[in-house]
Amino acid sequence: MSKPMSKPFLATTVAAACALALPSLAHSRQLTLTTQLKNYGGDGAYLAVYLTDSKGAYARTLWVAGGKAKFYKHLADWNRLSVGDARRLAGVTGASVGAGRTLKVTADLADALIDAGYEIRIDAAAEDMRDSPSDIRVPLTTQNVGKPQAGKQYVQSLTYQLK
Amino acid sequence: MGWKAIHRWLGLVAGCIALVSGITGVLLSIDPVVQARHASSVPLDLSVATLAERVQRAMPGVEEIRRLPSGAFVAYGFDGEQAQATYVDPDDGRVLANYRPSQLPRWVKNLHRSLLLGDAGRWGAAAIALAMALISFSGLVLLLRRMGGWRHLAGPVRGSLAQRLHVLVGRVVLVVLLLSSLTALCMSATTLELLELDAGPEPDVVSVAGSQAALPGAQLPVLQGLSARDLHKLNFPSAADPEDIWKVTTRQGQGWIDRYSGKTLAWQDSTTAQRVYDWALVLHTGESAWPWAMVLGLVGACIVLLWLSGLLIWWRARRQAVRIAGNSALAQADVLVFVASEDGSTWGFAQALHDALAQCGHRVHTSSLENFQTAPATRQVFVLAATYGEGQAPTHARQALERIARLPRGVAPVAVLGFGDRQFPAFCAFAQAVEQALRARGWPTLLPLERIHQQSGQQFALWGEALALALNEPLVLNYVPRVPPSTTLTLISRQDYPGQTDRPTVILRFQWPHLGWWDRLRGRGLARFAAGDLVGIVPPGMGVPRYYSLASGTRDGFLEICVRLFPGGLCSTHLYGLQPGGTAEAFIRRNPGFALQGGQQPVVLIGAGTGVAPLAGFIRRNHRRIPMHLYYGGRDPALDFYFEPEIRRWLEEQRLASLQTEFSRVPGGGYVQDALRRDATRLRDLLKRGAIVRVCGSRPMGRDVAEALDGILGTLRLSVQQLKAKGRYAEDLF
Repeated sequence: MSKPMSKPFLATTVAAACALALPSLAHSRQLTLTTQLKNYGGDGAYLAVYLTDSKGAYARTLWVAGGKAKFYKHLADWNRLSVGDARRLAGVTGASVGAGRTLKVTADLADALIDAGYEIRIDAAAEDMRDSPSDIRVPLTTQNVGKPQAGKQYVQSLTYQLK
Repeated sequence: MGWKAIHRWLGLVAGCIALVSGITGVLLSIDPVVQARHASSVPLDLSVATLAERVQRAMPGVEEIRRLPSGAFVAYGFDGEQAQATYVDPDDGRVLANYRPSQLPRWVKNLHRSLLLGDAGRWGAAAIALAMALISFSGLVLLLRRMGGWRHLAGPVRGSLAQRLHVLVGRVVLVVLLLSSLTALCMSATTLELLELDAGPEPDVVSVAGSQAALPGAQLPVLQGLSARDLHKLNFPSAADPEDIWKVTTRQGQGWIDRYSGKTLAWQDSTTAQRVYDWALVLHTGESAWPWAMVLGLVGACIVLLWLSGLLIWWRARRQAVRIAGNSALAQADVLVFVASEDGSTWGFAQALHDALAQCGHRVHTSSLENFQTAPATRQVFVLAATYGEGQAPTHARQALERIARLPRGVAPVAVLGFGDRQFPAFCAFAQAVEQALRARGWPTLLPLERIHQQSGQQFALWGEALALALNEPLVLNYVPRVPPSTTLTLISRQDYPGQTDRPTVILRFQWPHLGWWDRLRGRGLARFAAGDLVGIVPPGMGVPRYYSLASGTRDGFLEICVRLFPGGLCSTHLYGLQPGGTAEAFIRRNPGFALQGGQQPVVLIGAGTGVAPLAGFIRRNHRRIPMHLYYGGRDPALDFYFEPEIRRWLEEQRLASLQTEFSRVPGGGYVQDALRRDATRLRDLLKRGAIVRVCGSRPMGRDVAEALDGILGTLRLSVQQLKAKGRYAEDLF
């Protein structure tokens, strides 16, 4: 939470999310998400990167940046939607992400999730600043691969690749 | 480890880092003061519902309203793609200036609370807060000890500039520092997740769309019932999400509200922990109370002052500490020497004894009496104890008797050597008390108690001969007197009283060299003094100082004493011979029981001859016009009415309420105690009202005065002894 802000270089947090035991792992693809934050001029941001299904229901947490559970309520949408998932933090947590820095997350996804109405969402919050649940929502489609999308308050751009 | 050691070491070590907390704290205290400009007053009957409606009208895209601790309202929303945060006026929802959370860069706050070291730094900061709490508390204990209890807490502070600064600043900010560190600990406990604030997990609730449309905020009964004064935060439901809800957080708790039905879907009362935390936050940060923030800022700055003055005090004490050359460790030493001394003079004797024993092949360990203990290797123990005031222990050795009483029975033979002055009735009383305490615990006698009069080197050498016999060793004690560091005073004027031909008297007024603030801060130069303290004058070529009562204080700007020539007296001859421009070597010795404490009670001053000097000093400083009554006894008003013109002037200026004189060598004359008896009714009345008595003069005069007063007090069932015990009666006799 105390990284010097607005450094010109980009530090990259590589988050090697371990593959979740999904039934159709045989037909899985690797998702690589690159999230660049704005220079919002505050302490490191808490981020929750997660998937929702076509009905807007919670599907899976891909990454949570920021280690203190007491601040998770500021990631309001994710916190509310994922409340039933006891394993929402299993192996997918890391440090908060400083302003202007980039978070890289990889995850193995079942083929069935792609082009099926699923959305990648990111909730963001930083101390003494406004919470931004669903700062960005991007449909998980092959069409969107490689296209940067802008978020509302904290996310400068979100780009993903599928392999 | 005593409170003093805790205070010193925590202060020196943790204090370095506390400096960072202090300085960043000063910077952080700016924010609440700046934010206070945007605070708006809220009418008591303004509901959250009305507020929400007003703000929504003025700012249609509003997503959140917060009431800041300062009292200002901030609305968050979007202006197109651009996130927006502005102050809003609760009266009409009008958008005011743009909101900036802080005037300071983020690192200031992070330095303050985590030393820029993340979570490890937060633990560190919490440790500093704990240290600070301990430093403050030990400081309070030491302050009470120094000032003599709660009642004297506000009394005048003595000592070097650094000491006075430390005590003066400390006694003002101590409570705030203690509060600040305890609230910091409370905040650390929540940040480090040792303390849970939330009532429970967020409830999983959504708005359920029915036939009706979403309600505007103004029509939600829950919001209508909540006062805008108690509001912390109101989140509007998102326009894009039909299931989204209203969420409101107030001082009382938080609620989740259905956007269609307006019903409260869930409510959590705020926990006790949360309320405590809210208070801790206000007390620590001054948010919501800008005058308090300014106080906190000042106190933060005081940490720097306290640390620097504390460092100087420690450094000076270290340099002045008596170091025994060639001291062995306690466990290895076969001979132990323990010393009790108020002004440090006894340490010179201890060093002489130490050296002599070491020359005979002993391994000697010399220490302060408060450290009294023995080790298996101990063969002999010596206690060199000076007596302080009216038979009391020197300050540092106050607990020594209790310590001796607590220790197991002694096996090593002990010799106690007392130091004092035969003129005092309680000659070597403390040494005697130590001797008794040791014998009571069964310590064998090496040599019987010996009392050294006026630091006599000759008597000490004689005792050494007795010791050499007892030990059967060729021991020779060679004492070289030690004198405290002295300052050169320059005589500026003298006022002669020829008196009797052989014993003329002179009032000498000196000035002392003025030093820069750095030297004064380090305690160099002449120590601060007040009337009633003593000045030690070291005559040229003599090691033993003579003490004179001071008739002035530092604040008078000159040092004045009244000296009577004593035929053959080295010191009085030296002083009497001084002409303006001449110099004398001097140092200050405090006389704490005698100097006035600055209360409101009337004061009875009784003096004879040159003994009037300190009393004149008291009257000179009586700017507050406390009723002071002087009884003065001399021989002949034409010859020895010292300070007469000044005393007459002080009467006119009402610094002195009344004057009674008695001269012995005029027809029908008498002594000062006769004047007291004559005035018995008035004295009884004064003493009944709590008057304080100060007596200065010769020893026989002191005895006669006490006798006369005992006679006068008899009908009040009071005695001089009782008054002495209460600190209301003090003598300075020579």
